[in-house]
Amino acid sequence: MSASIVLASECPPNDPGFCAPSVLEFFPKPLATFDLFGVHFAITRITVILWIATAVMVWFFIAATRNMQLVPGKRQYFAESGYSIIRDGVAREVIGTEGLRFAPYLASLFFFIVINNIMGIIPFAQIPPTGRFAFPVVLATITYVLFNWVGIRQQGVGPYFKNNLFPAGVPKPLYLLVTPIEFASTFVFRPFTLSVRLFANMLAGHLLLAIFAAGTVYLFTVGNFSVIFAPVSFAMSVVMTFFELLVQVLQAYVFVVLTSAYIAGAMEEAH
Amino acid sequence: MTDGRQPSGMSGADEGWAVVGTLFAGVVVWGGIGWLIDLWLDTTFVKAIGVLVGLATAIYLVVVKYGKAG
Repeated sequence: MSASIVLASECPPNDPGFCAPSVLEFFPKPLATFDLFGVHFAITRITVILWIATAVMVWFFIAATRNMQLVPGKRQYFAESGYSIIRDGVAREVIGTEGLRFAPYLASLFFFIVINNIMGIIPFAQIPPTGRFAFPVVLATITYVLFNWVGIRQQGVGPYFKNNLFPAGVPKPLYLLVTPIEFASTFVFRPFTLSVRLFANMLAGHLLLAIFAAGTVYLFTVGNFSVIFAPVSFAMSVVMTFFELLVQVLQAYVFVVLTSAYIAGAMEEAH
Repeated sequence: MTDGRQPSGMSGADEGWAVVGTLFAGVVVWGGIGWLIDLWLDTTFVKAIGVLVGLATAIYLVVVKYGKAG
């Protein structure tokens, strides 16, 4: 087996050199395409991975909450612990008792992101769908709409924007300088950084793993003295797999914690 | 709340990131406005002025919002 088989979609055939994995990893050949209302849809293996991962997660929680007992069985225990990490550890911790209302959304968000991130290290899948920019963008958009909606509903449209754009304690003339900064940092940078943080971490992590894996194969099969470096590449790919697991869980957690913090911030001003 | 202070529940690390974000936003926003003015007036130096103004304003904003009370 040569490296060119591993990266069949993007490597020129019969090329003896090392074909490094690139961003094209995230643009595999479509399995099916169709057009709907002028929008072109392509179902790729990444889409299928997303569907399977989400289905597994949904199935797990549905199965765990069927026939719930007072003394939980193993599946129910895991589901309850998992939900409690978000509900108590994040929603109640960051937002307060008001936050319990958002716990279902935050838990769904966390588990959706974490299961799709982890697809990056599951064999046969080995690509995180959250590394395609559209998915983090949609999640960040939902969060953006949510915290603004909550803030506006809590405080009214006028006071919400006034509190956000015109911090008190600033002399009136300086508002000219300060307000664009406040506007940008709350309404432009928050959704942007939220989505890019998740996307970039998953993209970079996947490319790292792909480089070390493809490099190991190439170094073993190229047939010259470079083979002595192959175990190094292999060791790195093992280490990076564990590191990726940490990053994947952490990025899901950070996304949810920031969402909670933004919701908390939107609700706080009303005191 | 009667001043621009952040919610009291904000932990130190969150405040730190908010400070960094504000500084960054200040530089980017006013640097960007300076850059647009540059394109409009065909000058080259307004970008730098914008960055400096943005940085100064952002530092002021950080002091107002996250500085110690009194």
